[in-house]
Amino acid sequence: MANQFKARQQHYRRWQQKPIEAAFSVLILSLILWAVWSTGSWLIAGADWRVVTHNLPLYAFGSYPADQRWRPLVWMAALLLLTITTLSGDHLPQPLKRLQPFLPWAWILMVPAGVVLLAGSANLQAVPSRAWGGLTLTLLLTTASGFLALPMGIGLAIGRTSNLGLVAMLCRIYIDLMRAVPLIAVLFFGQLLLPLFLPVEIEINRVLRAVMAFALFAAAYVAEDVRGGLQSIPRTQAEAAAALGLNASLTMRLVILPQAMRIAVPALTNQAIGLLQNTSLMAILGLIELLGISRSLLANPEYIGRHLEVYVWLAGVYWLLCSGMALLAKRIERQGRLSTSS
Amino acid sequence: MKVRLLALPLVSFLFILNGCATLGEGGASRLDLIKRRTELRCGVSGKIPGFSFLQRDGSFAGLDVDICRAFAAAFTGSPDQVQYRSLTAPERFTALRTGEIDLLSRNTTFNLSRDAAGGNGVSFAPVVFHDGQGLLVKRSSGISNLNNLKGKTICVGSGTTTEQNLNDAFQAKGIDYKPIKYQDLNQVIAGYLQGRCSAMTSDRSQLAAARSGFNNPDQHVILPEVLSKEPLAPLAAGGDQRLADAMRWVIYALIAAEELGITQENIGNKLAEAQSRPQLTQLRRFLGVEADLGQKLGLNNDFIVKVIQAVGNYGEIYDRHLGPKSAVPIPRGLNNLYSNGGILTSPPFQ
Repeated sequence: MANQFKARQQHYRRWQQKPIEAAFSVLILSLILWAVWSTGSWLIAGADWRVVTHNLPLYAFGSYPADQRWRPLVWMAALLLLTITTLSGDHLPQPLKRLQPFLPWAWILMVPAGVVLLAGSANLQAVPSRAWGGLTLTLLLTTASGFLALPMGIGLAIGRTSNLGLVAMLCRIYIDLMRAVPLIAVLFFGQLLLPLFLPVEIEINRVLRAVMAFALFAAAYVAEDVRGGLQSIPRTQAEAAAALGLNASLTMRLVILPQAMRIAVPALTNQAIGLLQNTSLMAILGLIELLGISRSLLANPEYIGRHLEVYVWLAGVYWLLCSGMALLAKRIERQGRLSTSS
Repeated sequence: MKVRLLALPLVSFLFILNGCATLGEGGASRLDLIKRRTELRCGVSGKIPGFSFLQRDGSFAGLDVDICRAFAAAFTGSPDQVQYRSLTAPERFTALRTGEIDLLSRNTTFNLSRDAAGGNGVSFAPVVFHDGQGLLVKRSSGISNLNNLKGKTICVGSGTTTEQNLNDAFQAKGIDYKPIKYQDLNQVIAGYLQGRCSAMTSDRSQLAAARSGFNNPDQHVILPEVLSKEPLAPLAAGGDQRLADAMRWVIYALIAAEELGITQENIGNKLAEAQSRPQLTQLRRFLGVEADLGQKLGLNNDFIVKVIQAVGNYGEIYDRHLGPKSAVPIPRGLNNLYSNGGILTSPPFQ
């Protein structure tokens, strides 16, 4: 009791001794309260959320034909399921645990599966890529270009550190060139200027062009992240591998690369999240992905002036997606650490 | 080594030249390409109420969009064979020039420097909407003419004729002002509503459209001064006469159909009437029952029937998106037929 009293007294004394700090604390607290209050009251009472609630299918699928919307839905549900399965990891029930080794393969399969599901194949009605849009397109652009960029980046990194002078030089030139050009310029080239270089008859799918532009760009950054990992592996590792009789390619595959990748994971996560956010640049170049669809909806006479609602909603969606990716990356990092220590 | 380094850009430059040449030479028209792929690539804004915007079912709608649909109906037979490309103002001409899109139907002002070979070098179809630039201010601001805007800030879209007209008008009167530039109209509107500027400027149709979406439209007034003529027209890349001709006569067909009283509803009856009565030569020519007007353009002879079935005549298109019952009502004014006090008219289909 006495102790408590003493503590409180000290507390008061501190307030008296530092009146400026006290005033600042009160000011900051009231500012935070005011911000929370005004934001909250706008979210609940001020905002008109019909622009979002009316158009949820549009945000999700774009102008994908209504009777075929189950296809992007299945793909996104599979992505979500895979994310949850990967995240829950050790907490999975026993029978599902046996599937865990197949998870990486499932992830790799998601991209071709998505393309086939969206574009249509033998039994599925063909849907032209102009009808793809919304969240589906954002996710497809991100995953497809990510999965292309990763092997390309690893190849470039290995090439750049290789002993073959010409290969190393070409890789270095490519990486430096791509890093010196802004992404929007690469996308602009791919979307608007590429047709100038091709004969009139040849037309490459726009989504493919966007994916390639993103992948070519991201590969340069991935390469540098992986190279950072490669350089942090002590030379003794390679020497030890050589002593065991492994040749150069086996040394790279079994000894150097796995360790380097583990080190590069946090940086690669950054790239992946950046890639997701950069897909919104396509809105300027006329692909109707998440941001593009929002901008077009805002011109609908029914929803004029609802900018704040739409952008707050978009921020929420992007936040969810990026948080999901960050969690996934954390999980991969942890798994990497576990397998190192075992 | 140095020679080789030089050779690379040289070769790629030749490649570019070669690419340009293939478009111009040999009389090949983009019209053939459109018919071959049975799909029209139409550049639109995608962000202008009444002209092009996304509907709740995910399809585009608006006056500009209906013009695209009319072209698609004429060129491919189906108004739905269109791939829309939402383009911002600064990049629309690049997309057109490189062949990424076939044509533009995107609130583009028809003027000399865009039309001329020494400028953008595009070919314009007839005007589909006569507009003029205006200024929108808040009623409470007390601003009633240009002179009141001295030293004030004005929100404007960049890379447009709007920006240039604003500058010209204010410079001519010797009035200082501070422009705040945005990428597209919706950002201009947002900037204005957030109070970043005392006035916003754009074409009067767009101001009216924007105002109809405000919370309290009557608190905003469009100033009486009209800063410019803004005839908005669809356009294609220059040097392609066949495509330009086809586009021109599709637009004229929309206007002529209104003159002749042919509508989406009665086109079937009119066609039957034309087929059964040989003395109606004018109607028979127009609907492709006799003569080969369509073929001369490189289209099917019944292209006008297809167009009217798809979108109706010009008046119907206008009423659908900008008429008094639409969400963005704009008085027809100059855009009426010349017989009704406007300036629209079509040369004869002969």
